Formats: sequence, C-alpha cells, structure tokens
Amino acid sequence: MANPENYKAPAEIGGLRTVALGVGGIALLAVAVGAYFNTEQAIRSWLLGYIFWGGLCFGSLGVLMLQYLTGGAWGVVIRRIVEAGSRTLPLMVILFIPLALGVYFGKAYEWTHLPPDDYSMVHRGAYMTSWFWILRSAIYFALFGIMVYLLNKWGRDQDKAGTVEESRLILERASRFSGPTMVIYALVVTFAVVDWLMTLDPHWFSTIWGLLFVAGWGLSTFCFCVIVLAWLMDRSPMNAVLGKKHFHDIGKLMLALTMVWAYFNFSQFLIIWSGNLPEETGWFLTRMKGGWAYIGIALILFHFVFPYLLLLKRDLKRQAKLLASIGGFILFMRLVDMFYQIGPTPRVDPGMLEKGAFYVSWMDFVAPIAVGGIWLWWFLGELMKRPIVPANDPYFEEAVEHGQGH
Amino acid sequence: MGSKLHGIMAEFDTATELVDAARAVRDAGYTKTDAFSPFPLHEIDEALGIKRSILPYLIFAGGVTGLCAGIGLQVFVHVIEWPIIVGGRPHFSLPAFVPPAYELTILFAAFVAVFGMLFMNGLPSPYHPVFNVPRFALATREKFFLLIEAKDEKYDYSETRKFMEGLNAQEVFDVDE
Repeated sequence: MANPENYKAPAEIGGLRTVALGVGGIALLAVAVGAYFNTEQAIRSWLLGYIFWGGLCFGSLGVLMLQYLTGGAWGVVIRRIVEAGSRTLPLMVILFIPLALGVYFGKAYEWTHLPPDDYSMVHRGAYMTSWFWILRSAIYFALFGIMVYLLNKWGRDQDKAGTVEESRLILERASRFSGPTMVIYALVVTFAVVDWLMTLDPHWFSTIWGLLFVAGWGLSTFCFCVIVLAWLMDRSPMNAVLGKKHFHDIGKLMLALTMVWAYFNFSQFLIIWSGNLPEETGWFLTRMKGGWAYIGIALILFHFVFPYLLLLKRDLKRQAKLLASIGGFILFMRLVDMFYQIGPTPRVDPGMLEKGAFYVSWMDFVAPIAVGGIWLWWFLGELMKRPIVPANDPYFEEAVEHGQGH
Repeated sequence: MGSKLHGIMAEFDTATELVDAARAVRDAGYTKTDAFSPFPLHEIDEALGIKRSILPYLIFAGGVTGLCAGIGLQVFVHVIEWPIIVGGRPHFSLPAFVPPAYELTILFAAFVAVFGMLFMNGLPSPYHPVFNVPRFALATREKFFLLIEAKDEKYDYSETRKFMEGLNAQEVFDVDE
C-alpha cells in the first residue's frame, strides 16, 4: 500500500492562508462599519456571502457522499478536497450568528415584522417565529455535523489502515452510509434554504427551491475543486497524481450540473408562468423589471449558454488551466445568481427602498469577500491537516492510472 | 477472385506488440490501416495516427437543426398557420415553446449520433474481406491483428508484405477481396 505520508499538501498553502485571512479581515472590518450605519443591508449582504461560500461547504458534503456512491477516479482525486470543504462546517456555524441575531432582533426578513393576521402568517403559526427559525437552523447544522463527522472520521481511519482489507471495509462502510444519507441531505438542504432564503419573500413559494440549491451548490463545488486541482497540479505531490482525464471527468460533471441548474430554474419559471397565479408570479415580475431584468438575461447567457457551449468542447475540458478559468467564471455567476435571488426581496425598513427597486450596495461586494477570505483561510487550513489524496484507498492506483490514459 | 487483394494482415500475440507495430506502420507513412483487438486499446488511435472523428460537430449541427426545427414548427403552427388563443397568452409564447424545442434538439442530435456513427463506420456491413483469413476469428478471443489496405497510396504488394514481415509479427496473411 502507498504511504499517505508521501502525499502531504504543498507548503505554499500556508502563504495563501495568510493572504486570504488578511483580505477577509479587512473586508470584515468594512462590513462591520457598514453594519453600524445600515444593519439591515449588512445582514442581507452577509447572507449573500454566506449562501455563496456556505454553498461550497454544504456542496462539498453532498459531493463527498456522491463520490462514495458512484465511485470513479474523479471521486478519489477530489475526496480530500471536498472533505476539507465539509470540515468548514464549524466556521459556517460561527458565520451564521449575524443572521440568527438579525432574525432575533428583527433586523432582516420581512416575516419577522408581518402582522399576525397577514395570510402568510396565519397558517404558519409557530413555524414562523424567530426562536423556532433559529432552532431549526441549529438542527440543520447538527444533522450536517453528524454526516461531516462520520465521513471525515472514516477518511482518517482509511489513511491509518494497515491492510487492503481494512481499507476496503472502511470504503464500503462510507458507501453504504452515503446512500440513505444522501436523501436526508437533500431534505435538510431543502428545509434550510427555504428557511434562509425563500422566507425572504414570505408571500412566495416554490417547490423546486431545495433542488435548485442541491444542484447549484454541487456545481459550485465542482468548479471550486477544479480550481484547487489546477493549482495543485503544478506542485508536488499532486503533479504525479493528476492527469488530463481527471479534469475531463470533472469537466463533464460541470457541464451536466450547468444543464441541471438551467433545467431546474426553467422548470420553476415555466410552471409559474403557465399557472399565472398572482401569489406566484410576483416573484418573477419583480425580477423582470429594470436592472433585475438585465441580471436575469445575464444569468441565462453567462450562467448557462456560454459555459454550456464552452464545456461541450472535449479539448477544453482536458486542459487544467482553461477548465479552472471556466470554473472561476461559473463561480462568479453563481454569486450573481445568489444576488438575483436575494436582492429584490422586500426589506424590513419600509422607508429605505421601494419594494423590488433595483439596488446594489457596496456591501454586496465587500461581504462576500469578507466571508470568502475567512472561509478560504479555514478551508486551506483543513486541507493542510491531512494527506491530499486517499493513498490507502483500494482504488487509488487505478485512479491515478486512469488520469494518465487517453 | 483470389488475384485481387483487400490488403495484408499481420497477427500479434500481445497488445504491446500490436501498438508498437501500429506506430511503425504509421511512421512508415501508411494511412489506410486498421487494427483489431479483443478488447479496447486506448493507445491505438494515437499509434495508428487515426484522426479525431468529425461526428461530434455533426451531432452539434444536428442539435442546432433540431432546436430551429422545434421553434420553427411551433411558430408556424401557433403564430402563422392556425393562431388560437391558449390560456390568454400571446400567440408567440417562447416559454411554452421551449420544452418541445428542447426535445427536438435531443432527438435530432441523437439521430445524427446513432445514424452518423453507423454511416461513418460503413455499417451495416454484411460482408467484409478480413474474415477471409481463417485465423482472424481469433481477434475476438486472444490475438491482435493489424491490416494495411491495398488502396493505400504507399501500398506495393511485395514491399508492403516485406515490411509487415519485419514487424515482429507471428504470421502475415494476404487478405482476399
């Protein structure tokens, strides 16, 4: 068996961590100043950054289980990266505090201010109360936490495994766990994003909402992993592991998830457009007016059409640097997509903005940088803690060989 | 018959020998060549210098044709030929046109993929001269074969045969047309 100690993460990561923390720290100070002058906007921008970067954490957990379920060389080479991504969960709990406080003190989310006889509040009763909202989020984190803990524990056990049989047994256990847990994962994500995002607009609802995020966060994770892999590819020890074929495979998954994202979004639009019911159409009507309309068109063109056409090309998926730049582009569009979901929702302070008016705050740029800097600092720290590939995995050699093939 | 040859075939024991021989054949400048193996050999495309198929581009064109056909069909029916109001929507309602157009995109692309693949491989092919070599049946079991066709520009019977014999082959056969 290969020795995992030969696959230590490159030491340059330490320098990147410092940069990430520095940038994130400065941006965090800026957001703190912004929060002093406009608390509601700060919380909304924080939510934008939280959902975007949190998507990489929760998405990593989903992809981690997915690769245990499907097997395959791509799963072996990204396993330690998504494991590190999932271990950012404690940070996501800490970063959630501003949102919980925002709900508790009624500084964000219109539903915290609606009169009890509002039709959206009548039927939801105790479900839509601040304390129960916070309690539910705690439950989501606890459920995610169990999954993250067990999967990472087995990953570590496998690195320490002495024999192939032992390592195979651990792999089987992780695979068996991932099947049913994937269902629970999708349900938890659905409940979580309904609470965190859909309730921003308390009078609107969509049943595909959860799947939009399961797919979107999966896409974000693959794009992020490709960037990390492209960076690792130039350095020891991953230059001896990664091959064109690995990038090709992940490129195909990016293509598939780009399409799934478009498919789910269009399904949501088509059903609401066909039904033409006033309580549903308002959400889209706001987003088809003024500045929001341009963002919507940009999303269709640059979150779907453009990356879709590029990713169709085989040669492009096989070049690490090119694929990583497409990944970066899609990630940026993911952030724009989140802004498109969050931006037009009604605000608590009625005097601040007309409902649905187009508005971009400077904090919408700074808060994602703040969350991102801190997140990357934490993520890279987790990445350094363990060998960068599961060298004891029974399929490790096979996976390395697969990458060098044609 | 018998006088006219389809080509010359060499038999090999291992995949490595086949790939090495294929490289030698490619480097000698032969282009009308083919290799036969009981299992897929990923290196063989490169070793024989086989160019990438243009099929993916044809499939893309098929998909675009399907998309245009789908939109065109619905525009023709719902806007030009027989406009009726459905659900109070305009005659030209793009969101409603997307699912059928999407399906036609897939359908046309799939048709081009399947039939294009068959056509470009020359399939179905009820007769093929390579089966005139009795030992060729082993290509589905344990032996590896390399063929240079007679229509190759560089083909010259005695010279090509001598070249094939120098390739470390088990045996070299004439393949009757």
